[in-house]
Amino acid sequence: MNSRFKKIILVVLAGVMLVVSSRVQVLLNRARNDLGLTRVEPLENAPPVLAFTTVALGGFRGLISNILWIRANDLQEQDKFFEMAQLADWITKLEPHFVQVWLVQSWNMAYNISVKFKDYPDRWRWVERGISLLRDQGLVYNPNEILIYRELAWFFQHKMGQNLDDANMLYKQVWANQMSEVFGKKTPNLDELIHPQTQDQTNRARLLEEHYKMNPAFMKEVDERYGPLEWRLPEAHAIYWAALGLQKARENPSKIKQDDLITLRRVIYQSMQMSFQRGRLVTNPFAKRFEFGPNLAIIPKVSAAYEQAAEEDKATHDHILRAHRNIIRDAIYYLYTHARVSDANYWWKYMAEKYPEKAVLDSRPETLPAKMTMEGYVVARVQEDVSETMSRDRMKAIIEGLLVNSYTSLAIGEDERAAGYKLLARQALTTYVSKTKDRGEAIQMSSFDEINREVFNRMIDPVEGVPAEMRAVLRTLTGLPAETPGGTNAPPGVAAPERAGT
Amino acid sequence: MQRTLAIAWLTWKAAFRFRLFLVISSLLLVSVVALPLVIKDDGTARGFTQILLTYTLGTITVLLGLSTLWLACGTLARDIEDCQIQVVATKPIARWQIWVGKWIGLMSLNAALLAISGAGVYGLLTWRAARLPANQQAVLRNEVLVARGSAHERSYDNDIRQETEKLLRERLEKGPADRVDLAEVRRQIREQVRAEIENVRPGAYRPWEINLGLARHYLKDQPLYVRVKFNSAERSPSGTFEALWQFGVPEKTEVYRPGPMSLAPDTFHEFVIPPNLFDENGVLTIVFVNPNNSTLLFPLADGMEVLYREGGFTLNFIRGLGIIFCWMALLCSIGLAAASLLSFPVAAFFALGLLTMTLASGTMASAVEQGTIAEFNSETSTRGSSPADILVIPAFKGALAIINLAKSFSPVDSLSTGRSITWAQLGAAFFQIVGVLGGGFSLAGIWILHRRELAVAQGTQ
Repeated sequence: MNSRFKKIILVVLAGVMLVVSSRVQVLLNRARNDLGLTRVEPLENAPPVLAFTTVALGGFRGLISNILWIRANDLQEQDKFFEMAQLADWITKLEPHFVQVWLVQSWNMAYNISVKFKDYPDRWRWVERGISLLRDQGLVYNPNEILIYRELAWFFQHKMGQNLDDANMLYKQVWANQMSEVFGKKTPNLDELIHPQTQDQTNRARLLEEHYKMNPAFMKEVDERYGPLEWRLPEAHAIYWAALGLQKARENPSKIKQDDLITLRRVIYQSMQMSFQRGRLVTNPFAKRFEFGPNLAIIPKVSAAYEQAAEEDKATHDHILRAHRNIIRDAIYYLYTHARVSDANYWWKYMAEKYPEKAVLDSRPETLPAKMTMEGYVVARVQEDVSETMSRDRMKAIIEGLLVNSYTSLAIGEDERAAGYKLLARQALTTYVSKTKDRGEAIQMSSFDEINREVFNRMIDPVEGVPAEMRAVLRTLTGLPAETPGGTNAPPGVAAPERAGT
Repeated sequence: MQRTLAIAWLTWKAAFRFRLFLVISSLLLVSVVALPLVIKDDGTARGFTQILLTYTLGTITVLLGLSTLWLACGTLARDIEDCQIQVVATKPIARWQIWVGKWIGLMSLNAALLAISGAGVYGLLTWRAARLPANQQAVLRNEVLVARGSAHERSYDNDIRQETEKLLRERLEKGPADRVDLAEVRRQIREQVRAEIENVRPGAYRPWEINLGLARHYLKDQPLYVRVKFNSAERSPSGTFEALWQFGVPEKTEVYRPGPMSLAPDTFHEFVIPPNLFDENGVLTIVFVNPNNSTLLFPLADGMEVLYREGGFTLNFIRGLGIIFCWMALLCSIGLAAASLLSFPVAAFFALGLLTMTLASGTMASAVEQGTIAEFNSETSTRGSSPADILVIPAFKGALAIINLAKSFSPVDSLSTGRSITWAQLGAAFFQIVGVLGGGFSLAGIWILHRRELAVAQGTQ
């Protein structure tokens, strides 16, 4: 046998052994997982470079990861962030199954680094990068780690959803724009993404699944269970990722801690509460931005979610029920101020039955439900809110509700009451603006005229507005021409009437 | 000189004979070309350029540094071990000429490799920059691919010293008991006086007058960049504080008042201001108004800085490479000096040990700052003490003083942040790194080689 032939034989043999060993490796990985021989799962879905690195470096991976981590900390202290994405990538890839590494790196980007930038678009880049690190990479290597789902949900709920970051409005705006690309700049329709019929729908479904890593069928399931949700707002996505985490937990019950489940459920019911308070997205074509309003349709589900959470979480049972009572109080108030008196009455009775011994006004212990009327409670709440609240969403909901009542009163001939509501709304806004002026853009609200116009246009909208008779009365009283057949809304720029107000 | 150059030429020939030049230059070029394909940037053209500069120049420095050290140790030690030096030394050439010839040979090799790889980086940067949209190109030209000088407020050291002494005298007159720890009382008063200058209380304002000096003559119609940093003892709910600024003096210069800014504490913020806001003497007046409910502290050292265009990127880049070249010269001297005395493996080990010690100087600096090498007790927030401190701490101080002669320059950092590397800095680098440190090692190496018995029986034979 000459040497050339021998070499060919050896190369072929090496190739065969490589293929066989790769087959055996699959069996070995499965066996070591089944037998619980190693704590760490074998690396799956990894690109070749990463797979090679993790095997070749062995135990030294941790050491290199530490060095990179130290460098990342040093650079961060020096405010040099341009290497952070690269370092985070290396650190997480060196320890792909170390969940805390993913969590810390993504948190660092979304929270610590983002606020270091003065320009809001720069901040958004880092928040988005933190989300992307978990969603696009962390979950690929750790598809069953519910801590990653929890963190992802938290970014949507807290970083983007709440108003602690001055740039939160930009985050919401950009996210709503991105989601508009998925939903086709209209009210989200999940069915068309589950069963796309056109090329456009197919493209949008692919965008949702491949870029945002979301499953439209599961979105629909979430929407039916917790919604209706506004999928262009971050809270809906917080609920989605938390719900997906819960599903993964059900699929892997042996690997789950009870506390983690509670945290996931907490994200869901807290996000639902946020959806209730400002989960309706309203396009403001005049200011070219989105506005938010309360989503009153999900009140029953929010209440049920809190009750279920209280049932499941014995340690914080009382706290959750306290929050539940607060939500019902808010619900009564919002429903009443949106002229949905019978719904408000239902929840008033519900509260009276469930919490008969609890005062409905915190500052007045004598205000037990049995000793107070719903109307009396609402009036007291208006006084309390106008003088105390600092929450933009809550105040916006109050003002909108007062204006709805004003126009409803106007339509039924109660001019004085209409004027009173409108005056109250204006006073509420003035008080809020004077109390929050030092917070700047973070909790800025539209002008009174803008809110007034938005509410009025919504009420006279033939599709979503008040009944036709009332619309006709309102149009007549405010000097607008009669509604044309097929018309959809008041023409843009129509100023809301001032007859009923100041 | 001819003899020295002959040795240098022999070194070059050896480098080509062993394909060393080809391998190193290929490695350097591959790293320059391949790095941009694999690195992850922060998503901006500025960030990409910064990370590209940092990683390519960093890789070049590491690769060249290691090869220089390795070659320097190898070329002389191998010659001695293989007895080839005996053939050379018997020629009419002095030992120092052999040593210097090797040094020149290696450094000219380094110069060629650095020029090739530097040209590669420069070409890549300018090529990529030219493909960017015009606005991104402008950002790069103004913030990264530029040499920016900086101006600060005048020093307050004298004012602080005088005010401290005055207050100290007053306090001593009132309470003689303070005499028990005069140094501590003085330190406390000095901190109070400093804080008075650095703090901006809620609702208060703080002016800075920054003299641009001679730069004012060429800064007309050019935008300036303001770099600020402040600290706060309190956290705000949003993590940021509002900042109101005014640049210029009403009725004296043009005035610029940007809208409120949301700025995070403990971090540097850089923003552009329009041209021509300074007066005829080149003084730019900046006023900060604090509308927050917390006191903000602008450190005197780096709280306020004005950056301006001082020159182009090309020359700055060349000066940066010049400093890297100085480092290579030092490594070459260290390697040759070690090889003058030691065998190749020991010399390489010694040289790498020195390099490691230099890289670990942070630990030494920390020990010097704490005054002890004892461990920090996190429970009591105190440090212990060690009997070795008496010897080790002064030794660390001495080592740090020497190391900092080379480490105090950071060309990669300056280039990636668009900071100017002046000719004076390059001159200082040459003097400190090549002249003082490299010269010291070179003299030691030449002296050792001069004294060494080259024809002694070698263990490896």
